[in-house]
Amino acid sequence: MVHETTASLEDCSAGTIETLLEEMIRIRAFDEAALDQFRDGDVPGFLHLCHGHEASHAGMGTAMEPDDWLAVGGSRLHGQYLVKGVPMREAMAEIYGKATGSNHGKGGSMHLADHERHLYGHAATIGSGQNPAAGLALAQQMRETGNVVVSTIGDGGTSRGSFHTALVFAATWNLPVVYVIENNGFAISYDAGNLPADELSAYGEPLGIPTASVDGMDPVAIHEAVSAAVERARSGGGPTVIESRVVRMRGHFEGDKQQYREDPDAAAGEAHDPLASFRDRLQDRGYLTDAEYEARYADAESTAADAVAYARESEFPEPATAYEDVYVRPLYGQEGTDGGEER
Amino acid sequence: MTELSVSEALRAALDEELARDERVYVAGEDVGSFGGNFGETRSLQEKYGETRVRDTPLSEVGIAGHALGAAVGGLRPVAELQFADFAATAGDEMINQIPKMGYISGGQFSVPLTVLAPSGAGIRSGAQHSQSVHAWMGSQPGFVVVTLTTPYDAKGLLKSAIRDDNPVFVLPHKNLMGKRGEVPDEEYTLPLGEAAVEREGDDVTVVATQQLFYRAIEAAERLAGEIDVEVVNPRTFAPLDTETIRASVRKTGRLVAVDETPLRYGTQSHIVSEVTTNDFFSLDAPPQTVGVADTPIPFSPPLEDEVIPGTDGIVDAIRDTF
Ligand SMILES: Cc1ncc(C[n+]2csc(CCOP(=O)(O)OP(=O)(O)O)c2C)c(N)n1
Repeated sequence: MVHETTASLEDCSAGTIETLLEEMIRIRAFDEAALDQFRDGDVPGFLHLCHGHEASHAGMGTAMEPDDWLAVGGSRLHGQYLVKGVPMREAMAEIYGKATGSNHGKGGSMHLADHERHLYGHAATIGSGQNPAAGLALAQQMRETGNVVVSTIGDGGTSRGSFHTALVFAATWNLPVVYVIENNGFAISYDAGNLPADELSAYGEPLGIPTASVDGMDPVAIHEAVSAAVERARSGGGPTVIESRVVRMRGHFEGDKQQYREDPDAAAGEAHDPLASFRDRLQDRGYLTDAEYEARYADAESTAADAVAYARESEFPEPATAYEDVYVRPLYGQEGTDGGEER
Repeated sequence: MTELSVSEALRAALDEELARDERVYVAGEDVGSFGGNFGETRSLQEKYGETRVRDTPLSEVGIAGHALGAAVGGLRPVAELQFADFAATAGDEMINQIPKMGYISGGQFSVPLTVLAPSGAGIRSGAQHSQSVHAWMGSQPGFVVVTLTTPYDAKGLLKSAIRDDNPVFVLPHKNLMGKRGEVPDEEYTLPLGEAAVEREGDDVTVVATQQLFYRAIEAAERLAGEIDVEVVNPRTFAPLDTETIRASVRKTGRLVAVDETPLRYGTQSHIVSEVTTNDFFSLDAPPQTVGVADTPIPFSPPLEDEVIPGTDGIVDAIRDTF
């Protein structure tokens, strides 16, 4: 069993460091922009933000190849969509429910999907995305695509039987899948400390699945752990369960008063901010100046602002499209069918 | 023509589709060397290997859930549940995930999977192994729900289900697995989403499927010379071919909707409502419904026989429309 990684900036390529920082900044800028709009009342539904999960998302995103699949779990979603390559415009427009969104407004923030980019999206009944991830992995295995599936889940979702079933299937069939548990200590208000396992990756142990528990606030650590797991899966070594220990800096959703938390403000502070700490580390080692960081952040902010403008200006879907996509028509055997062809 | 049982027809369909398309695979509990609870997968693993005909651990969540991902990933799974009742133990997968995935993705994903699961009562197996689930699964837009009645249906519809780009829930009837009938020797498929007028008649339309279809035919024969009964088999319950049913009622002026689903919120009400809403003035009498009273299916043979509609009940309902 793998247990710890020895993540160090020195072992990380300049290109990887660069991408990790870039992705973390993009996620933060995107979420800040979404938050502003939500406060103005423009974003329908719930808003779940990723603050505190950026390093974890960036680390797993950079460990994957573009054709690897990502099945998103937990509730910190936006960052995962972005690291899978969904353009900010399409993501923001979907969050707004606009026709230009990746799912033409049929999905929303909880169901953003992108077939071309191999983003499966999120099963909003928490913990139901892990078996489909196993199935996606089976498809890679049987079709010999060489692709790997990464599937995320929160600490909360690991209590569902469906999660454990997915591990059983993945281990039994030696599937190329990596289960990443983003443990931010809470499932809405439920304290993950109450769960019997100290490290949630331990759920893989009875099944003989290699596990690792890493500091998900360190993008290099999570990048290394997921890369090793992806590599093993790609070479036929089967599944891995990784716990990525993170902090949820904000409420479960915007508007959550967090009475269950001793000090919500402390959790929201710089001391728990993976972006600030990565920035500081890079600055200390001379990889980055303050001005460079500011310039990068400003850049990402303007891309996010452009995405907001795009989403706001986009049209809502035509009401009649609500009835489309329920079935692929015609059904097999009905007139005009050429069913059975690969799409 | 060859005479086959329903389970032999199912096996023939699986065999042909496994041979035709390498994306097709069968997964379920005991589908391998055991050959399926009703013999429907017998010898297929020997022929196609453990990769294409795979035994799964005992978890419907895993069977249905993994099949969803595999379908999105480019395979065409046939996921078998040993009994349709167990769709409930994979309730989230069957209700929240599979039928919604194509829709919420905005049409980006297709989910070409088949769930094959014997349904219905009559084999003395008690309330948790005897349900007709096509009413509760039929109310999930996105799932195509097909019931099988004859061996001819079984082969032709299962083959179409496997080739269809939607998730299709295929329900043979537990009590008809050994039912024999003629099946063409040449390759064929039957259209999904289309009802079949199985027996023509002028006086009353009886809509019936699975084992109650045979009882409806018996009722029709018993009334022959007195009342000329037309029998329509819906085959696909979702989406339902109401057009064929309505056309039949426009001809006969009378309707009896027969099904093994519970009467409360059952398929019978939906069929009647489609006809009364759209063709009220072609009706000569109030439509009748025949189904299971609002009770679970009991175990004891006389109790089970009591709640499953018999030929007498169908005959009475037909007479009640005159
Ligand atoms: C099956 C299910 N039960 C409950 C909920 C309601 N719910 C949504 S998010 C959530 C907590 C999830 O916590 P966790 O899995 O730790 O993810 P996180 O929010 O921390 O990212 C709950 C209870 C749900 N969506 N699905």
